[in-house]
Amino acid sequence: MKNEPLAWYIAGPLIGLIVPLLLILKEKQFGISSSYRFLISGLTKKPGYFNYNREHDAWQFYFVIGLILTGVFYGLNGYDMNELKTIQTTHGGFGGGDVMHYVSTSGFYDLSNWAIFLVGGVLIGFGSRYSNGCTAGHCIMGMSQFSKTSFLATIGFFIGGLIATYFIIPCLF
Amino acid sequence: MKKILNIASFVLLGIYFATVLTEAQAISWYRIQEMFYFKSFHMYGLLGSAIATGALSLWIIKKFNVKSLHHNPIEVKDKPFEWKANFGGGIIFGLGWGLTGACSAPLFISLGINWKIGGLLLIGAFIGTYIYGLLKDKLPH
Repeated sequence: MKNEPLAWYIAGPLIGLIVPLLLILKEKQFGISSSYRFLISGLTKKPGYFNYNREHDAWQFYFVIGLILTGVFYGLNGYDMNELKTIQTTHGGFGGGDVMHYVSTSGFYDLSNWAIFLVGGVLIGFGSRYSNGCTAGHCIMGMSQFSKTSFLATIGFFIGGLIATYFIIPCLF
Repeated sequence: MKKILNIASFVLLGIYFATVLTEAQAISWYRIQEMFYFKSFHMYGLLGSAIATGALSLWIIKKFNVKSLHHNPIEVKDKPFEWKANFGGGIIFGLGWGLTGACSAPLFISLGINWKIGGLLLIGAFIGTYIYGLLKDKLPH
């Protein structure tokens, strides 16, 4: 397992290409988090937010199947989500002593952190629906359109991320 | 048959996207932490060049009036500007992103790699989406 990522100047443009690929091949604007609404509306139509023309979002569900399949492929090939745990030490230990000690032993991706995954998931689901997009729809698609809506949302993402990183995570370990 | 091909094309695009994200390690909590601690340019370069590529593509599409595969004009719509929701919801989403290192695409990729951790994230995301559905009319937008 290698520790070096695919270089940003190759991976970044490949990520950005999803925007024209979806528009030209499929006439869709890139986004992922509408799939949460789509999936829940398959289970219940109440409250009214889930009673909508869901066929419009069905494609995001198919796209998500591709994401999951890719994960399964990496998983079956022994991908270790904790393989990067040494990067904290190489950077002189961000997060301070306790976080670093914790991460260098069990690693962040450990079921003992179940509450973080669950609560974090709630924030991701609620926040992306409230802000009407996530990193895909706002950061990548919306910023490519120079949309002020997405610019504002992206600033929000970073503020939230910085608060979590500097004030919440150091209190959790 | 047409329907299957349509579904398969989205699945393939998802596989493409997920493979690039995973190879770039953008799905890793460690890389996200590194980004929020400003210790590496990697994630900024990744996001910046992705946006630049997206913006350039949209410019080319507009400038040369590029048509879709099915010969339709390509329309790009703006999402409605609701600053309280965009910004407030953005901060809440960011808290989840910073805590777990996952945004929506990595969440689903993690589900494939490790169904227990990804499952917790996904159950959480469903609960969060449902809570939003319940509160939508009471929240400022």
